[in-house]
Order: sequence, then C-alpha cells, then structure tokens
Amino acid sequence: MTDSACQRYLEDPEPNAAHLETCATCRAEAAGLAEKAGAEPAPIDLDALPLAPWEGSSHRPWGLVLGGAVVVIAIALALCDATGMSPLHVAESSLASMEGIRSLLTRATASLRAASLGMQIAFGVLFLVVNALLIVLLRRAPRGIDA
Amino acid sequence: MRRMLRLFLPLTIAAASLVTAMVAAPPGANVRGPLTVGDATAMLQKTAVIAALLAVWMLAAVALTLLSGREIRYSSLEMRASALHCFALGLVAVTSFALTAIVFSYLIPYHVGVPLLFALGVFAILTKIYGTVAVFHAVGTLVAGSRTREQLARRHWLRGDLAMVVVGVAVLGALRLIPIVGPIIWGFASVFGIGTALATKFGRREPWFLAWRTVES
Repeated sequence: MTDSACQRYLEDPEPNAAHLETCATCRAEAAGLAEKAGAEPAPIDLDALPLAPWEGSSHRPWGLVLGGAVVVIAIALALCDATGMSPLHVAESSLASMEGIRSLLTRATASLRAASLGMQIAFGVLFLVVNALLIVLLRRAPRGIDA
Repeated sequence: MRRMLRLFLPLTIAAASLVTAMVAAPPGANVRGPLTVGDATAMLQKTAVIAALLAVWMLAAVALTLLSGREIRYSSLEMRASALHCFALGLVAVTSFALTAIVFSYLIPYHVGVPLLFALGVFAILTKIYGTVAVFHAVGTLVAGSRTREQLARRHWLRGDLAMVVVGVAVLGALRLIPIVGPIIWGFASVFGIGTALATKFGRREPWFLAWRTVES
C-alpha cells in the first residue's frame, strides 16, 4: 500500500500483521523470510476435514462378525430342518439353476447354428459391437478418491 | 436430517415388504398365510434355500474382506462415486458374457470352445462374487457408515470394513427374502457388482489396456 504503512509493518510486524492482507509486496517478503527461516506452515485442523474412507477401516469387530454369521447360519439350519431339507438339497437346487443356464445356452447355440447366414452375421456384428462398447467403458479411469 | 434419513430407510424397507407381500399374495388370499399346506411348504423351502445361500454369502464376504479389504473398499468407493458408470458397465458386461458364452459354445465342435467356455465361466463367477461383496460393503457403508470422526471414535462395533460388509449382507439378504422384489433387487446388485469389479479391475489401480505412446527422441 503506502510506504508509511509498509514502514510501520517492518518496524513492528506483529501488531501490524493486518497490513499483509492489503500489501502484496510485504506479503511476498514475509513469505520469503518465513521460507528462509524454515518456519512451520499454518497448522491444519484435521477434525475439520471430511472423514477419509480408510479411517477406522482396519478395525475388526469379531463379535459382530461371528454373531451375524451364527445368526444367519442358525436361521438357515432351522428353516432347512423345518422343511426337512438337508444342505445337500440346497446344493442340488443351486446346481439345478446352473443346469437351467446351461440348457438355455445350449438352446441358444442350436438356434444360432440353425439360423440363416444373414442372422449369423448379424449376431457376429452384435457380438463385436457389444464387446467394443465394453472396451470403451473399461478404458475410463476410476473416479474414486484415495482409498 | 441424517437421523431422519436413517429412520426413513428401515421404514421404507418395511413398507415395501408389506406392499410387496400384499401384491404378491394370490387374489382373495388371507394376508396371514397362503392358501394350502403345499404352498406354505414350497414357500418355506424357497426361503430355506435363500437363507442357506445367504449364509454362504456371509462366509464368502467375510473371507474375501479379510483377504483383500483394501480392494473391496476401493471398489465400494468407486461404486458410490460413479454409480451410473458402474451400472452401465455391468449391463454391457453381462450382455458381453452372454454373447461370448454363445460364441464359445458355438466353437465347442472345434475343440477350442470348451477351455474358452470354462475360462469365461470362472472369470464371470469370480467377477460376480467379488462385485457382490463390494456391493455389500457399499450398502453397509451407506446404511451404517460413520459420517464424522466423533461418530467413528464413539463406535466399537459398527466400524471397519468387516462390519460394513456384514451389515450389507444383512440388509441385502433381508431384501432378498421379499417375494418378486427381492430377486429384482439382487439382480440389480449383481449388475452393479460386476460393473464395479470391472471398472476398478478388482480394486487394483491399474488400467485394463496399456496406452500407446511413441518413443520420443
């Protein structure tokens, strides 16, 4: 600002600290002096920053985990017992759904073989388009912040 | 406001369950139960199968989180940061898996189809398992995650990746038991999961494809 204000600041910096807000020259000079002196930067209030995703993430509440697992397993066993099913039946029913997918795939392949050449070419084009779109989407970089 | 939102979520789930049960019930049926003993047995058997599968999911989720919690957390974060991209990628990936499976199945008579189909199946199953666990983490964090540092410090149970995954399994498992709506929600979760698993390359920060750069002289 004015020379007299700068002079007052230089003579007694602490009471005239507000001068730095208005004078770029003195601000730059003060920053340079602070850098030379190795002064610490202004402290950061960590509590004011948002919670990072990794904070507290390594905590392992075994009571909750074991309790949750035991409750879910107990419900499953009780229901299986009530309906007279064994865990083998559950595995069989899961495999049955896989069998459904397999038969669907077999039928789709048979339909493709039986289709006309034009339809087969159209399927090939669709296959290429979908996979090209997949590659385009995979090329995008993730947005998530540091985990 | 957040407390209201937290109250709102369970109330919404309860209301949705009630409405779905009423809609799914056969016409003229009593809300208290199905019409015949056979219907009740079939419904109970279906519930038993779902509960048993949920128990398997719980064990798998805990094991995977213990093995690679950081990767699961990163994928969960990505899902919440760009949900639409993960969903679009999941839809395209599921379509691609189906079409590729048909093409590989077409190639079975030429002997090359079987190993390719096997590799695709393994990859698809691994993607689904990893992605679903990431969805569990994301749902758990949305429902029960700490918002402030003070809240985090006060908690002894509901903190950490394992707790978030367990809460997510519980919430999505409860939703899975709702007739009609449950499988739809689970299907959406699978699509989200597959999308986020592929978008983050299973939680690793590596690109899927190397960028082409010419050598500078």
